[in-house]
Amino acid sequence: MIKISNLSYAYTKNTPIFSEINLEFDRRSTAIIGQNGAGKTTLAKLLKGLLKPFDGEIMIGQYNVKTVSAAELSKVIGLVFQNPNDQIFKSKVLDEVMFGPLAIKMSESAAKKNALEALELVGLHEQLETNPHDLSLSEKKLLCVAAVVAMDPEIIVFDEPTIGQDYAGKEKIRNIIQVLKKRNKLVMTIIHDMDFVAENFERTIVINEGIVILDGDTRKVFAEREILKHAHVEDPSITQLGKVLGFQETFLTVEEFVQRWKQSQR
Amino acid sequence: MKKIIVENLKYKYPLTESLALDNLSFEVEQGEFIGIIGANASGKSTLCQSIVGLVPHFYKGAYGGTVIVDGLKVMDHAVSDIALKVGIVFQNPFNQVTGSKLTVLEEIAFGLENIGVPQTEMLERIETVLELLNIAPYRERHPFDLSGGQMQRMAIASIIAMKPNIIVLDEPTSQLDPEGAEEVFQAIHRLSEQGITVIMVEHKMEKIAHYCNRVMLLQKGKMIDFDTPEKIFSRDDLETYGVTAPVYTRVCKALDLKIPGTDYYPVTLEQASRVLGGKIK
Amino acid sequence: MKSISLYTDRKSVLHSLDPINKLYYIAFAIFIPIILPSIEISLACVALSFTLLISGKVFTKTMPAFGVVLFTLLTVILIQGLFRPGNATILFQAGPFTMYREGLLYASILSLRVINIVSSFMILVLTTSPSDLVDSLVRKGMSPRIGYVISSVFQIIPEMMAAMETITDAQRARGMETEGNLRVRIRAFFPLLGPVVLGSLINTKERAMALEVRGFNAKSPKTYLLDQKQYRFSTVIQWGILFVIGCAIVWRLAS
Repeated sequence: MIKISNLSYAYTKNTPIFSEINLEFDRRSTAIIGQNGAGKTTLAKLLKGLLKPFDGEIMIGQYNVKTVSAAELSKVIGLVFQNPNDQIFKSKVLDEVMFGPLAIKMSESAAKKNALEALELVGLHEQLETNPHDLSLSEKKLLCVAAVVAMDPEIIVFDEPTIGQDYAGKEKIRNIIQVLKKRNKLVMTIIHDMDFVAENFERTIVINEGIVILDGDTRKVFAEREILKHAHVEDPSITQLGKVLGFQETFLTVEEFVQRWKQSQR
Repeated sequence: MKKIIVENLKYKYPLTESLALDNLSFEVEQGEFIGIIGANASGKSTLCQSIVGLVPHFYKGAYGGTVIVDGLKVMDHAVSDIALKVGIVFQNPFNQVTGSKLTVLEEIAFGLENIGVPQTEMLERIETVLELLNIAPYRERHPFDLSGGQMQRMAIASIIAMKPNIIVLDEPTSQLDPEGAEEVFQAIHRLSEQGITVIMVEHKMEKIAHYCNRVMLLQKGKMIDFDTPEKIFSRDDLETYGVTAPVYTRVCKALDLKIPGTDYYPVTLEQASRVLGGKIK
Repeated sequence: MKSISLYTDRKSVLHSLDPINKLYYIAFAIFIPIILPSIEISLACVALSFTLLISGKVFTKTMPAFGVVLFTLLTVILIQGLFRPGNATILFQAGPFTMYREGLLYASILSLRVINIVSSFMILVLTTSPSDLVDSLVRKGMSPRIGYVISSVFQIIPEMMAAMETITDAQRARGMETEGNLRVRIRAFFPLLGPVVLGSLINTKERAMALEVRGFNAKSPKTYLLDQKQYRFSTVIQWGILFVIGCAIVWRLAS
């Protein structure tokens, strides 16, 4: 769905963020992890067309990111920003969610239909008339998710969706990701919460100093403790527990661990 | 010695209907490390701010009951006086930078200048906190040029330099990457070892379980429970309060393995591996 | 570090002077040509200001500012030269327009005064770091709160512009066109305005609390981390400037 070839990018000439990155994305849900400043957000902005590559190419479907505007690209790829206050400006929840679909020239009725569906997905369908600024921060984040989902892009990128979410909020995000996966969307996220990555994403890419140092099935990636350490990434709690107890396998969920443990006790 | 005494504390923000804090009473001893947990909007931040006097002095609103911090009755003293007893660190390191100073050194000095600390003592205090928070190499850097983790440690240093006996931290690591977060936790741990009383709101339950002596569970401004991490995280009804136990506790609960000789489940990696390790065949 | 300050870090006598002296000089540049309104005095003042700017190695930095000022002054010269009431002596004619001597002279004096005042402000702004200026003023007794507002503006505005960029990206990500003709740009303005205002309000509230708990409102007398910068000849320069202004007044009254 996305093909990045020989991508290079720098904010200032002498300090390249990326040089010669090659990556392909299929429909597996993908987590992009790494230290702050490793280049994760820059990558997301490049994919979204908000930044233009210095060198190399990014193809999203049949679009070449270099030649189409960010607004045009939003039909195929959506990005949910980390801070909802950077986005919200309408005085009603429904209007906020309809803004994106209308901006990409969806018809009024289609925009409304999509918006209502998206709001139902995030659980805000009973607050259509509410002023978004009266919502809590975690509800605002969900509102921004709905605003992107309503545009019905093939690819949805989340920037730190779990920050500031409590247990219930995280469960909602988890559910939204599952639903989007079922709709055959490519779900990507930039994230620091490794426990959440382990439980929800099929593929994990580790970026360190502008270089992809690990890429593959999440389980395989979290098995590479030494490389992760080098990238300043901590493995998930459950993985740590398995390792401490001397298991060969890499565990990703509590359920897996519990099952394997019960087997070992027989 | 009791550092914080809260009695029947009730508080309502201006222009709101419901109580943000609803009849809280508790006490904290000198040197304790307290974690506060609960769903969003359960009153965690409001409680933090009531300990440093921002509630009610900064927000106004309806206030009842008493909060006594290191012998000072919060209601009767200005925030700048209470600041000498208790400091607070907020979530976003960025918004705690004064924006008027050109180096880390000057930034840390800001509070000390305000409260009139003599220059030689100021320099001594700043050196101490630079070392304590591991930011000495950045002393001449511009405050806005630091990474999130460094900036947050600078914010903590600025507070600690004012020599409070108590420090309150409201989700100090939520904006940081895991490494930055770990740096901050270790710095707070060092403070705690020096006898400073720590109150911390945090969503990462594994960290709470690892560092705290006691954990307070809040819901809708009411205190549900206030006890050891083992006791709190062994509760069966945690999820109804919008929180979940650490991964290690969830594993041991599923396997029904308690800490030997107690009624509670393990809460840290160490406890869990001890309990599980003893059972490996 | 980005900053909106125009301060240019060079080594010169002007840079090493007390910021307060430069405030005195601004007063000098404003009052002398008013007290002594002859064109010669105005010319002399401009020459002095330019010499100071050149000695401070910042003269080229003044060009953008003077560009704007001169453009405005050009219109003043034209209007006064052509239409000032009391215009009598014809200087020259160009098509239907007649340029008069009286108007031109009046406009020239006015222009020289403006250039002089702008130059004196340039001397302050270009050769003084804002934090030094604020520091000097606070030590002289200005309220530390006002001092804080002044010095923080220089740093917080660039941060707000960075926030503005993020907000623009967030809206572009939702399909909003921000580039193109005027109509598109105006339409794009409102979705940006709301978040910018709200964001800065939230940040201001948080920063206010953070300042509060660091004793910003403490009643005790303030101390300073850094020793007061030692400036040479401050008193001599200040008294010198006051003396010259005094002389000018006496001269004016006597003549």
